[in-house]
Amino acid sequence: MADDKGSKPLMTGYMISTQMLEIDGCSRCQECMKWCPTFDVRQDRPGITPMYKNAKWRELIARSHSLRAKIFGPKPLNEDEMKTFTEDVYSCTTCGVCGTVCESGIKTVELWEAMRPNLVDRGNGPYGKQSFFPKLVKTDKNPYQAKQEDRLCWLPKDAKVLESGKIAYFAGCTAAYRQQALAVATVRVLNALGVDFCMLGKDEWCCASAMVRTGQRPVMEECAVHNVDALKDRGVETVLFACAGCQRNSTIDWPLWYEGYIPYESMPLSAFLRDKIRAGEVEFTRPINYKVTYHDPCHNGRHLMHLKGKDWAFEAPREVLQSIPGIKFQDMVRNRALQRCCGAGGGVKAGIPDLALDCAKARVRDGEEIGAEIIASTCPFCRRNIMDGRNDAKSTVKMLDVVELMAAAMGLDTTIPENPYTKYQEQDVIVCGPAVCEVGTIERKEPGKDLVGEAH
Amino acid sequence: MAFYTLGLTFNLVILLTVIVLAVWIYGIYFNFKKWGLGSTGYHDQLRNSFWLFLATWIHEAFKDGVWVFLRTVVLDIFLLRRTLARSPVRWIMHITMFYGFLTLATLSGLGLMIDIVEHFNLLGLAEPAEIAKEALSLPFDIFGYLLLIGATIAVSRRILLKSVRDNTSAYDAFLIGAVFLITITGFYAEWLRGNAFLVGNAFEYPLYAPHFALIHTVLALGLFALVLPWTKYIHVIATPMTLLANRGGE
Repeated sequence: MADDKGSKPLMTGYMISTQMLEIDGCSRCQECMKWCPTFDVRQDRPGITPMYKNAKWRELIARSHSLRAKIFGPKPLNEDEMKTFTEDVYSCTTCGVCGTVCESGIKTVELWEAMRPNLVDRGNGPYGKQSFFPKLVKTDKNPYQAKQEDRLCWLPKDAKVLESGKIAYFAGCTAAYRQQALAVATVRVLNALGVDFCMLGKDEWCCASAMVRTGQRPVMEECAVHNVDALKDRGVETVLFACAGCQRNSTIDWPLWYEGYIPYESMPLSAFLRDKIRAGEVEFTRPINYKVTYHDPCHNGRHLMHLKGKDWAFEAPREVLQSIPGIKFQDMVRNRALQRCCGAGGGVKAGIPDLALDCAKARVRDGEEIGAEIIASTCPFCRRNIMDGRNDAKSTVKMLDVVELMAAAMGLDTTIPENPYTKYQEQDVIVCGPAVCEVGTIERKEPGKDLVGEAH
Repeated sequence: MAFYTLGLTFNLVILLTVIVLAVWIYGIYFNFKKWGLGSTGYHDQLRNSFWLFLATWIHEAFKDGVWVFLRTVVLDIFLLRRTLARSPVRWIMHITMFYGFLTLATLSGLGLMIDIVEHFNLLGLAEPAEIAKEALSLPFDIFGYLLLIGATIAVSRRILLKSVRDNTSAYDAFLIGAVFLITITGFYAEWLRGNAFLVGNAFEYPLYAPHFALIHTVLALGLFALVLPWTKYIHVIATPMTLLANRGGE
């Protein structure tokens, strides 16, 4: 039992007043418990569910701020209890399904993200390997200890990328260093459609999503301000994201840290491509004869649906998939706003990897239930984690990005040029011959130097 | 005339009511101040202020304009849209309890006003006041039954559904048990008086009617007015305020 004397109180520093209100607004209807993806695979740990976390936070705050505390003085916090509570708070993927179903309308993602910095300040958080994030990003500007000048090392020599322009493609760290098939496919598709676009290259820094999600905010400001300024300097009006984590951060978090006008719009690549398909600008030359389902990433689904609309969040990627010839599309039972999180978000992949893996296996089972051969998504982190879950469950389901399927159906060459990070690549890929396309897997030749998992 | 028992007089009841109201108001102030421990915005520093909580809440609630505020009031507070989207049974439970509780509380306040008018014969209105009080008995009964339906569903859910039962805390049991008890004692007091709505004189026993009325009043005042601000009961106020601050959570 830890000594409680002189224990620091739990602060409310990062919580907005209305979030303090939300804690008391929970009516304990238990609806969140039905949907929570982590509780679904940890039924013996009700403490990780929103209802219990709210109740515990309320109880802990009451030790210093209740009527009893006013009259008799504050009670110290028990450190063992705080340890358990910290684990509960960090067992959340911040997927936001609890907020979607909450009868009290509590904005849960923002609430958990406000609780975590208080735990960090108190010395309880972050959790596990999450503490590496700020150090890595501060030093290398990415979480993979990769060189900034290698940001575009995967770029095919014949690809056309401008120095500046009205449209930018923000690749993100994972596509640049660990899932280069996605980055190559994106560039190829944009080139094939005649879209003039620029990239930030070594001026592209980590979006810092992992820091915000895990309550380690200070590095965030530096990254947000740098990225926004870099995009502004290039005269960008539309930024395309093929990474849900970067998309969310650019849309929601960067503006909170950037003092000044942000002149560009952040747009999911799938929405941009859907518009091109609707305009009749896309020519598909090969059928993709697979049964495909779509996994909605939390970060550009539920997190964005209120800001950017459900069409961009949910319908655009589905429309892209359904436009591809040969694809038999079917949704999983849990889809769109009620989708099941892959388990990688909120720092869980880095902090509690076995929990992330179990969530991923549950999502793979969702895909298997409907007989899907390919789970498509628009998030490299979901892809990484679902692939890990698939491997662990020894399932045959493949995991691909929507844009890769599109590139394959357009007959584009998506070969990744040899580069210093080729040996770290491990991903499912789709390879097309003159008539048919087949899905395979690139095996990683060497273990990556990753201190933290490829996930936010 | 209102009737009192166990040494209680009209003046004592008024005094008790004033004390209870004072504690209730202080409790609400205390909670607002506690909520004010948070900041006014994402990066803002802490102020620990009752007024800044109010200012922040108003800012958030009206962020998208008056129309969105009104829409939230109607759809999310009066019609409990989010509950209906998730569970029709829970919606019936909540909506009957919400309207039952709210209306009974309002009627009780009105009844107290009428009692005061009647007791002091203010403006010579004692007689009309008595008639008005009689007229209140039917709405009291209707909304009482409404509350009873909701409370019964709530208790049954917690007992019959395993998953709900397993996650029921002492707080939940206390809250729902108290609502149920208050509703039942209210009905019993009414039935003992005789000539009651639906049951007629089946339970008539006027001698004990004032005692039960007193128990009901003490429970209602004690639990809802004294306990509400200091426990999980506060969600009765905090939930609608949260819905408004988050513009319905949509």
